Amino acid sequence: MSLVSIDQSALPYMAELCFAGADCYLTTNSADLAEVLQQLSLSLEATDSTRFMMQVVVDETSTEQADNPHFRGLHHVVTASFGHTNVFVFDLLRRTLSANVSSEVAKDSRFWKEKLIPITLGILGSALGLIPVHSACLESEGDGLLIAGASGAGKSTLSVALSLAGFNYISDDWTYLSLRDGVIVAHGTSAPVKLLPDADQHFQALAECSPHISMNGELAYEVDIIETFGVAVECGCEPRWLIFLERVLPPGSEFSKLSSSEARDYLTSNIERLPSQLDKAARNRDQLIEAISALPCWTFRYGGTPQFASEQLVKFVADRRHEVSA
Amino acid sequence: MTTINKQPDLLHRFVSTPYVFGINCGSQRVDIQSNDLEVALGVRSLCIRRQREEQSTITRWKLIRDGSAPSDADGELIFGHGLIRTLHAGRGTILIYDQERSELLGFVAPNVSARKLVTSLIPTLIGSAPARSDLPAFTNK
Repeated sequence: MSLVSIDQSALPYMAELCFAGADCYLTTNSADLAEVLQQLSLSLEATDSTRFMMQVVVDETSTEQADNPHFRGLHHVVTASFGHTNVFVFDLLRRTLSANVSSEVAKDSRFWKEKLIPITLGILGSALGLIPVHSACLESEGDGLLIAGASGAGKSTLSVALSLAGFNYISDDWTYLSLRDGVIVAHGTSAPVKLLPDADQHFQALAECSPHISMNGELAYEVDIIETFGVAVECGCEPRWLIFLERVLPPGSEFSKLSSSEARDYLTSNIERLPSQLDKAARNRDQLIEAISALPCWTFRYGGTPQFASEQLVKFVADRRHEVSA
Repeated sequence: MTTINKQPDLLHRFVSTPYVFGINCGSQRVDIQSNDLEVALGVRSLCIRRQREEQSTITRWKLIRDGSAPSDADGELIFGHGLIRTLHAGRGTILIYDQERSELLGFVAPNVSARKLVTSLIPTLIGSAPARSDLPAFTNK
């Protein structure tokens, strides 16, 4: 039997961090972990409504690697365990994450970047007024473009192609949306872009990279978009349009308008139902979903290369701006 | 309006708990919910025993027999930060004790008997907690 009890006086390392628009106050007993998380943190947004506490005890005697995760939740508490030592407890009422991890996991930057930070935002998000949406996000001249779609629809390759065409990159897979003074704001994390092996047919820069087995078992390129493609990255934007991506076989492209109720159904079907203990968070989340689904929504069906799809979207954005200015 | 029944329940929060007991322990009402009759009866007996022994009362219990949980038998870990304490027995059994809200919640793996749950795991978790008067104030912003 191991007994770990968090005593704040035994957690001397502190840091103010920011992940996807949520501010995080970290306390830990590990200088290594504080450094890893500071490297992954974006600039602070300083809004109390999206602040949470993270308390992490690192067991220096354990070298356990992160095992497959096991998640469960009841009422306001969610637990995630990645093996016997690596245990995370999320308290949605008190907006706190408490964790016990091995020294190996504390130093594993990839674990925090690709797993724990997105998981934390996904679980605590509803208590922080954030919604994770399965969409890419790009920005141009202050206008954000959300590109939603199922896995395999081509969000990541299109994100890279649009970034190479001059858009600023924010995220390629999960985007975190919140309301600030009535305005929708979208954020990404610093997670790498994940491209399937056939993406090397479209992007020469991948010739110098090798695909490897990613954390979900898929063979993929996982690359830093700035290092690999030299494109511009933004940490957040105000989305103007929501595009649902559908890949079809015949070459060509077509935009068709989508109703708010269809957009709402999509957004709702991708998020966890909340228990009655979190009624207030559920109401705030419903408000946010209403605001997002009120954005102009379109379905974009395309067949062809990511560069072709990117050209169509660049033209689409230019046309929408022209409509507004006219 | 949201289409609630389309939403996923990846965390198994909404497993139905048809075995429900409400008992009076002194002046307090205790609610027990489970999807496993043996667990619900075991917890009911535990509450009555604790009341006879004048031990502190937990007023809300929700325990799920988790058929899909891993049944590994790795050691036990009790993890706490004042207001919430959790007990992890293997990866599949997770008990959560929120002292301030006087709630005990959890998932019980198939390899853990109701007897072990009420005679060993729950008393260990509750017994490891500091006195309520030592807890920091609850802040639900």
